Amino acid sequence: MTDTKITSKEAIMLIVTIFVSHTIVTLSKNLLSNTKSATLINLIYVGIIALLFAYIIFRLLRNFASLDIIDISQYLGGPIFKNIVGGIFIAYFIGTSSNLLREFCEGLRVAFFPMTNILFILIPFILVLFLTNSLSFSSNIKTVSLVFPFVLISIVFLFFGNFQNFSFERMFPLLGKGFSDTFITGIGNIFAFSGISCLYFIPPYLKEPQQMKKICLTSVIIGLFYFLFCTATVLLLFSFFVDVDEVLPLYSAASYIEFGVFFQRLEPLFMLIWILEIGCYMIIINRFSIHIFQKMTNLKSQKPLAMIFPLFVLGIALLPQNYSIIRFLETNIYSYFIIAVVFVLGITILFLANLKKRKERKNSL
Amino acid sequence: MKHLIKVFCFVIIFVILTVSFSSSYLQVNLDNIAVVVAIGIDKGENNTLKVSFQFTAPSSVSESGSSETAPTILKSIDASSISSAVNLMNSHLGKELTLAHCKLVVFSEELAKEGISDIIYTFMNDAQMRPSCNVVVSKCPANYYIENSKPFLEPLISKYYELFVSSNQFTGYTANATLGKFFDNMICQSCDSYAILGGINFQLSKNAQEGFSTKESADISNSASLNGSTSSENVGLAVFREGKLVGELNAIETLAFMCIGNTVKGFLISVPSSQIENETLDIYLTPSHKTKIDVSFVNGSPFIKIHSKFSGQIRSMTNDSNYLDNEVLKRISEACNRYLEYVFTQYLYKTAKEYKSDINAIGKTSLKLFKTISQYEDYGWREHFQDSFFDVSVDVNVKSSSLLSDS
Repeated sequence: MTDTKITSKEAIMLIVTIFVSHTIVTLSKNLLSNTKSATLINLIYVGIIALLFAYIIFRLLRNFASLDIIDISQYLGGPIFKNIVGGIFIAYFIGTSSNLLREFCEGLRVAFFPMTNILFILIPFILVLFLTNSLSFSSNIKTVSLVFPFVLISIVFLFFGNFQNFSFERMFPLLGKGFSDTFITGIGNIFAFSGISCLYFIPPYLKEPQQMKKICLTSVIIGLFYFLFCTATVLLLFSFFVDVDEVLPLYSAASYIEFGVFFQRLEPLFMLIWILEIGCYMIIINRFSIHIFQKMTNLKSQKPLAMIFPLFVLGIALLPQNYSIIRFLETNIYSYFIIAVVFVLGITILFLANLKKRKERKNSL
Repeated sequence: MKHLIKVFCFVIIFVILTVSFSSSYLQVNLDNIAVVVAIGIDKGENNTLKVSFQFTAPSSVSESGSSETAPTILKSIDASSISSAVNLMNSHLGKELTLAHCKLVVFSEELAKEGISDIIYTFMNDAQMRPSCNVVVSKCPANYYIENSKPFLEPLISKYYELFVSSNQFTGYTANATLGKFFDNMICQSCDSYAILGGINFQLSKNAQEGFSTKESADISNSASLNGSTSSENVGLAVFREGKLVGELNAIETLAFMCIGNTVKGFLISVPSSQIENETLDIYLTPSHKTKIDVSFVNGSPFIKIHSKFSGQIRSMTNDSNYLDNEVLKRISEACNRYLEYVFTQYLYKTAKEYKSDINAIGKTSLKLFKTISQYEDYGWREHFQDSFFDVSVDVNVKSSSLLSDS
């Protein structure tokens, strides 16, 4: 369980994995519900804002060398503040990941295992977490790096495989619900870039901390392209005026891909790749949660937590009684929670810590 | 000891997962399923549906390599809904019906006129149904259509259902209408659905061609001039508006639909010969550019300009043909232009004024004229489409005949 360092490429893949896993489930559909035909323009717009946020985070973290946000919270407000911030981030990671896992497993159940209890579909993912928690962080990230190219290819293939079925007129009306819904309230779509939260935690793991700027900007740019591909696939393939809510919209999109009579039914292949991707996402989130808890409690080893956190994820994933509650949590609770934690709380802490540091420097002079 | 505990845990987990996933596996096990290749839906008695399922005979799977046509089984049942019909059939057969290999859904004309949107929604909600499944509206009872759908050149019925519309790209006499497209057009506010028009050929007599408007141009399923034994035929289109059948298109109107929708790769037309009176020339046309659709609004009504370009090759040849003369080719091209402009205009006005159905999704082209969705919804494309007026221009360039140029 000894955590070792990761390269800047691995760090980029780690962050993009968070972006992608949300996209695979229902993120693209949620974005389309908010901004309709203007979603592609809105994504470019919020992508630029997310890029700005990533750069601000890089600038604010620069003064704290290889400290993460939990260490910085302790520096800013002492151990109690550190525990509060740690608790919020754990709640954020566990809450969003449990909901995403449950939603994905519900999709798996509908498509492949209609007679299997949801608990048994969740269990293999939890077993993966048990197993990976006993390995080092760098080996976990190497697994992510191995899966990542396949996921990238699957999304690009999904886009080009469906190209013949696209109606490009569906990008119009250009402003969707209206100017303010696209560019003012549409800023809310920035929750899609929740993977930025990883930027707060990766500095201690980096082999080359001086590459932080590259990691921040590249990961957001790759993530933006991913979003554009996924959202364009759903937008251009389905009619958007009536909100027909698919359990897994990209899975539905995959079922439209056919090359002649012999090359059909590719969706199980896509699903296999996406199962691996969701597994990778769960591994990353689980490791960060354990890492935060270890710092909060000053535990020497992560070993005692290796079984507890996966079970915690399983318990929370089983809490929603039905699919409508899962969708309600995702669209009405977690999207705002993400904005509050990642884009407000995180940056505020870093900003105040920087102010404190500047004040201390002035005083020492 | 530690190793033993690990092995024990692994065995326990393996057993639990195997048992829990086995129920899903058993449901799709080949021994427990009945593979449905086509579904026919008719109006039943007392507000029910008469649902017919066509299955492949279990032995036919292993006989696919033989030259004989694989046998099929057709079973019908009356039920209040599709799901109930599936359930009742499961009970009747003692097997689980799987729709994962269903290639064809046939609706009777009578049922389609009353509306099939609920059934389409139910099919799209089914994880097993493929969006590539063909949708047919039959002019005769759906179960009768399926019963008489016999592949002549294919040993497997499922392959026949998959490929029977493939000729549309080279004839333009029927369109590829799949369940996914039907559903998408049905929920879209700027387009309407269509389905393949099917029927049974009762007419065994040969019909002669009649002048300008040839017989095959007027062909429609149930009335075609094919000789041979009774079989299903698929010519023309069924036009829907908000999930209800509102009319049908014959072969040449379907060709117009496909040309405007850019889905045809080539087609044959017959135009009057410029050299011999009362004679027609067969010309094979291929689109040289995509059809351009331009929508504008004049006094609140859509003004739709359509421009198509084709290149042609003369297929007819007589002993006094002269296709090396540029003037002759020009005259033939102009005749083609006039003919296609007439056909396209007739088709467009028929769908707009008579059927009030935008099956070519011209409304999508108008989307760019609106800034916001609310503006588009306030305008109401569906309501205004019937007020449309059209300006059709066709540019045919007949280049040559085939192997012989002059005789």
